[in-house]
Amino acid sequence: MTWFSLFFLISLLICLASLGYHLLFLLRSGQTPDFAPPSGNIRAGILYSFTGAMSPVKKESAFLHLPTYAAGMVYHLGTFISILLIFLLWADVVFPIALSLGIAAFLLASASCGTGILIKRSVKRNLRALSNPDDYISNTLVTVFQLLTALTLAFGSVFTPWLFVAAGLLLLYIPMGKLKHLLYFFAARCQLGLFFGRRGVWPPHKNQTP
Amino acid sequence: MEKAVIDKGLKVFENGGDAKLITHLNSCVHCGLCAESCIYYKATGDDRFIPARKVEIVASVYRRYHTFAGRFLPALVKARELNEDTANEMVDLLFGACTMCGRCTMHCSIGVDIAYLVKTGRTMLSEMGMVPASLQSTVKAAVETGNNMGIPAAEFVDTLKWMEDELTDELNTKEAKIPIDVKGKKVLYTLNPREPKFFPLSISAMAKIFYAARESWTLSSRMYDITNYAYFSGNNDEARLIAKRMWDEMDQLECSTLVLAECGHGTRALRWESPNYLKKPFPFRVKTSVELIAEYIHDGKIRLDNEKFKEAVTLHDPCNLVRNGGVCMEQRYILQNFIGDFREMAPNGTDNYCCGGGGGQLAMSEYNERRMKTAGVKAEQIRRTGAKIVVSPCHNCVDQLTQINFAFKLNIQVKTMAELVADAIIL
Ligand code: SF4
Ligand code: SF4
Repeated sequence: MTWFSLFFLISLLICLASLGYHLLFLLRSGQTPDFAPPSGNIRAGILYSFTGAMSPVKKESAFLHLPTYAAGMVYHLGTFISILLIFLLWADVVFPIALSLGIAAFLLASASCGTGILIKRSVKRNLRALSNPDDYISNTLVTVFQLLTALTLAFGSVFTPWLFVAAGLLLLYIPMGKLKHLLYFFAARCQLGLFFGRRGVWPPHKNQTP
Repeated sequence: MEKAVIDKGLKVFENGGDAKLITHLNSCVHCGLCAESCIYYKATGDDRFIPARKVEIVASVYRRYHTFAGRFLPALVKARELNEDTANEMVDLLFGACTMCGRCTMHCSIGVDIAYLVKTGRTMLSEMGMVPASLQSTVKAAVETGNNMGIPAAEFVDTLKWMEDELTDELNTKEAKIPIDVKGKKVLYTLNPREPKFFPLSISAMAKIFYAARESWTLSSRMYDITNYAYFSGNNDEARLIAKRMWDEMDQLECSTLVLAECGHGTRALRWESPNYLKKPFPFRVKTSVELIAEYIHDGKIRLDNEKFKEAVTLHDPCNLVRNGGVCMEQRYILQNFIGDFREMAPNGTDNYCCGGGGGQLAMSEYNERRMKTAGVKAEQIRRTGAKIVVSPCHNCVDQLTQINFAFKLNIQVKTMAELVADAIIL
């Protein structure tokens, strides 16, 4: 095993152990029982929380900020693809050139979206006031990871050590700050679905005008 | 600030909290996309009022004491000590710049329950004895006198007698009564103390509806106050005490259904929170008056004159009743039954904008100027409908809307649902 693969592996284990701890802590903290009788369907509420409520038609944070929303979606997709790819590259899977170049182009676009988001955060006064160093570091690490995945796909093994080091650093950093939202996002949507579903607010009433 | 006081505030995070609290405290990604959801930011453009800033001030304190990065690298995640500066900023943001309407929660890109975190922050401040004086005095009045306006029982009963006389005169029958403390009736009806104090006609309006529906009902002279401002001050012990009184009164009067007057936060505090304050399910049925009126219409127990109102009518959805309580279509069902020109605001329903008077804002005179600034959003919504009557099933909202009407020269009438329905009832 190469040194960079080993570094990646150790980072992965630390990251998984740490996220596992967060998950366990969350599950063991338990849900305070709600004694008020529900007036809606909790399951339907949770399902809606992950589906309809996320749609840009319903979510103001999306439809008022469509470019940022679109950039965010592409950026997140780029991250998922990069994560999948690093495992495939680790397993020495070789892709046809056309496919490699196609994915690399997409990842270049997603890394650009990440850079755009970083620039927006640095430039806009209200976002700067809201941000902490973790926001900039997280954004940078993920963007560099995507960029290096793209470069590795396009230009081959010369970038592989760099990619694995970047991925390792990213994995080590995930449990430290906001990147933990890869776990908490799902928990938050569940909690919100539970709350609004129980109260009969989600899914919304059919004849309610948007 | 003394350590003992700080420790009291931090106790709210004891053992890290439950899964809901931990989740929401850890979820914000600082995207800032919630800004426009909030009337405070919309009306003022002030960055401090972005909902995420309210999340941040609570979450940053949590991080400082309960996360690895916050403990060892506080600058990395901007983790904050709970000290006098932080606490003062919390008071200004969480009490003075939030109605806990939950609109931002619904639109958050992640799903952070922002209003819940604001409530958590308020509980911390309450533990530290930092609730704004005006709000605390409202809670104190409720705890000490049984109603938040400190109305003496004799004065309350006199008002009810006077309203009963008016009602019997209007309907020309001695059958139309306002029963007080009668045991064994089906319904115990609650009131917002604003009614006996300032708007007694809304009591006779509901009495008229009960009369028309031949309902078996009573009021209590001891415990009629639906409000629970301790829910807003964040003091769970006081909230529990107030809630328990209403449960005890149901028991005393042996009623089977508690009917909640038109009060958004009172409904929320009783319907959704009181079983949790008391840690047991309701031993009786609970219904809002809006749901009950809709039921009366549906079951043919009351009939309404659809020629009565020719003017355009619009509806203001109280955040606590609708977005946080799920009572959304009943009021529309009622209005569509007898209002020819009913116009929705945009947005409406669970997506409505808060009137600016919720979250205890009307009780906190410290923030009056800011409150009336936020009201511009609602004023504009109303103006755009062109309606001449605004109905809202919440006395608190009605109060704020009345002030909005005056301040923004809207030239509208503001009514509760019971008032509108009672005017159109066919006997
Ligand atoms: S709960 Fe309402 S008032 Fe408070 S921050 Fe959110 S949108 Fe603004
Ligand atoms: S939209 Fe949600 S995640 Fe984004 S800043 Fe606001 S509270 Fe945080």
